[in-house]
Amino acid sequence: MMKNNVSFFRKNYGIFVFLLVMLVLPFVFGLFEGSTIGMIWRNQGSVSRFIQGLGIEIFILALFALSYDLLFGITGLLSFGHSMFYAVAAYGTGIALKTLSFPFWAVILLVCVTAVIQALLFSLVLPRVKGIIFTLVSLGLASMFHIIVRSSDLISLTGADVGLQGVIVPAFINPASQRLRFFSFALLLLVVVYLFYKQFIDSPTGRVCIAIRENEDRAKMLGYNTSHYKFIVMLISSFTASIAGFLHALYQPIISPSVADIGFTVTGLLIVLIGGVGTLNGAIIGAFILRLLDFYLRRFIGQSASFITGAIYVVFVLFVPFGIVGTWRMKRNDIKQGWARFSSMLNPKKVELD
Amino acid sequence: MKTYLKKNSTTVIIFIIIAVVFFIAAQGMETSQFVITILRGFSTGSVTFLVAAGFSLIFGLLNVLNLALGALYMIGAYIGWTVYVRPDTFIDVLTPLLIILSGFTLRDVWSFIITRFRLNRVKHKKWISWGLILMGLVLLTLIMARYPIAIWDLDNYPQSPITYSFMADQGMRLTPIEATFEEISPVIALLGLLIGSCLLAFGIANNKNSTSSNVKVNWKSFVLFAGLGLTAVLILIFNPQLTNFLLIISTNWLFVIAIMVAVLTGLGLGALLESTLIRPLYNRPIYQLMLTIGIATIGIEIVQAVWGRPEFVWPKPAIFRGTGEGCPATSLVDLWEYNCSTIFMLGGRVRVYDEIFIPIVGIFVLVLVWIILKRTRIGMVIRAGVQDSQMVEALGINVRRVFTQVFSLGVGLAAFGGALAAPSVGLSTTMGERLLLSALIALAIGGLGSYPGAALGSLLVGLTQQFLIRYGQIGIPIPFTDIVFKPSPPIVPASTVFLMVMILLILPCGLLGKKENS
Repeated sequence: MMKNNVSFFRKNYGIFVFLLVMLVLPFVFGLFEGSTIGMIWRNQGSVSRFIQGLGIEIFILALFALSYDLLFGITGLLSFGHSMFYAVAAYGTGIALKTLSFPFWAVILLVCVTAVIQALLFSLVLPRVKGIIFTLVSLGLASMFHIIVRSSDLISLTGADVGLQGVIVPAFINPASQRLRFFSFALLLLVVVYLFYKQFIDSPTGRVCIAIRENEDRAKMLGYNTSHYKFIVMLISSFTASIAGFLHALYQPIISPSVADIGFTVTGLLIVLIGGVGTLNGAIIGAFILRLLDFYLRRFIGQSASFITGAIYVVFVLFVPFGIVGTWRMKRNDIKQGWARFSSMLNPKKVELD
Repeated sequence: MKTYLKKNSTTVIIFIIIAVVFFIAAQGMETSQFVITILRGFSTGSVTFLVAAGFSLIFGLLNVLNLALGALYMIGAYIGWTVYVRPDTFIDVLTPLLIILSGFTLRDVWSFIITRFRLNRVKHKKWISWGLILMGLVLLTLIMARYPIAIWDLDNYPQSPITYSFMADQGMRLTPIEATFEEISPVIALLGLLIGSCLLAFGIANNKNSTSSNVKVNWKSFVLFAGLGLTAVLILIFNPQLTNFLLIISTNWLFVIAIMVAVLTGLGLGALLESTLIRPLYNRPIYQLMLTIGIATIGIEIVQAVWGRPEFVWPKPAIFRGTGEGCPATSLVDLWEYNCSTIFMLGGRVRVYDEIFIPIVGIFVLVLVWIILKRTRIGMVIRAGVQDSQMVEALGINVRRVFTQVFSLGVGLAAFGGALAAPSVGLSTTMGERLLLSALIALAIGGLGSYPGAALGSLLVGLTQQFLIRYGQIGIPIPFTDIVFKPSPPIVPASTVFLMVMILLILPCGLLGKKENS
């Protein structure tokens, strides 16, 4: 293992820079628009609010992708039921706030409990089935939930095909009136989860998880109870995805049943693939790229935007299989050398100086 | 026998439980309803089977879970519809397609030129070949944008696919609007297409890392090239006559042609996908899975762009749509005479196409593929490859070619399923996703990679779905209470998923799957 004498802040400076930039970003955009800092602080200024909204969506997606990356990229479990964690939390929050009118702390408790229950459910399944069969079983569990959510029998609770509308969000975190607070809260959550994940992967438990991805039989042979470790990963992953779903329920005006769809899991997979399978910062970068790309494509191309999404899928699988971050890590030195050569071609004097 | 029972006791118990459940379910309804439900179960099962068989063949040999099969099933249906309802479009498309194909038939010649002139040793070979591919694609798109093809208009309702379907359903044959060469002269168009396809094929051949130096040019490829080119030109010349011929002949024959074209498209698409996209990824199975998801997304998007989002119907051929005098038929003789759409069987009124024709075709395909697998040489290679593909390769058999053939066979089966199911369920852009889930469930129930397992799983899925739909109408009286439980339509897919999860938890390899040695 690496020497641990590098300080914590030094090691993770990237994420702190990211945190600062993201916190400043709404103000910068607001100043371009012409509103003062005070106005943005009081949640006025439409451009800044819009940027914050986009940011919140990206953070939620990044949380979801992080949890998927832990499961798929780090531990090597290909689950097609991951959207279920997200959707159960989103619908649970929505129903608890709207129909059952729980107090806010009780809602958080409920989300935690459902996350644990789902992790238990998946972990019950896990030791029995392996590989592609686990993928199919998880797909089955998730699509069962999707069908139940969409069925007309529960229309009073879930709103069936239309989705759950009219969730009353408590005033102190309402994204309509307190958007900057919500933005900062989501950002902070993302950063905290990211740091936790990083520590987790560097910990002995995380190392065993990587060993499971590389060769499960060998990890078993070495005496590790792999299903135990898989349960831990499943728990953490389900918990994070539930947080993302919880934020989704608070932020979005409609919780549509498409979040329980397999398509949403595939979105998570695509984000992880774009960023780089098994890299944590890749998940955040991928979420940024996918959401912004989707936004601009829908604006300029319209309905056939998902054609481009599919094309990106194919192109990444065929030509950039390690994603942006993975490729960067592999070719970092080559790229730097190439740039040095390129700049020396543009500026021959520099070579003489060297 | 005794050891078999001992070894597979769990499987046998599950079979008995399933049989008992179906027996109890059958007790709750009248004979006529029972017959119809069973037939419908067979019908749904047959369509599911065609896709699940593709899945199981591909997964068994290649270890690829091809999630694009749902989209390809849908594409098969749309292609078949195009041939059936708009034969003029079909004939128009045929010429450029054949020309583009003909460039690829000279594959041996391209690799001969490349090795003869040492083009594969040139520096920046990758860039050159990609540049050629790009040039070819640009040329093809430029010409295809100007090439006249009589096609429907999505924005104009009287000329949309929905209207054409409706007209064909009413028996009104369309008067084809002839597409004429206006923006581009035919000679330039054909030559341009040929050059474009040659550039494309050359680029692709150059991109390969083949090191063999003695490539022999076979005269067969020239014959094939000339044949394809000549056919394309002939079709172009006799375009109006061919269109008229397809419009005049009986819809039954047109239906057969449509199905055949759909199957051929599926076979071709399968070979194309395998050889270009799947083949580079054999050492990364998860990436193959993800790639097929991407292909499925693109396929759905293409269908939405070409045929539009609204649903429409595929009218049934004349032999299955007779009404009026003598209908519904009471005997097979009547059925033959009046071509009735429905028939009385055991007191129930049965639709001929949906509930008799589809299951018969399904069973026919089941037996046909079974014979291919068991009695032919390629079937032997496939079965050996399922056991151990590396060993087969070591014995000197070109497994890669068999991979391509099996992949294309699987896709062809899925496209056939789509074309067969479309007249009964209609065409929509979501039909693929819905069937994909059923087929996956059938596959998992039967056992991944097991061909009889796919058939059994599909049958179970079909019967379960239809029994639940039927009980959604009658209601299930829950014992010891007065409540009558009526399963709502969305419960139907959920029930099959539930069945799959339960069976997989008890038997992780499915009912007929190979048991892993652990």
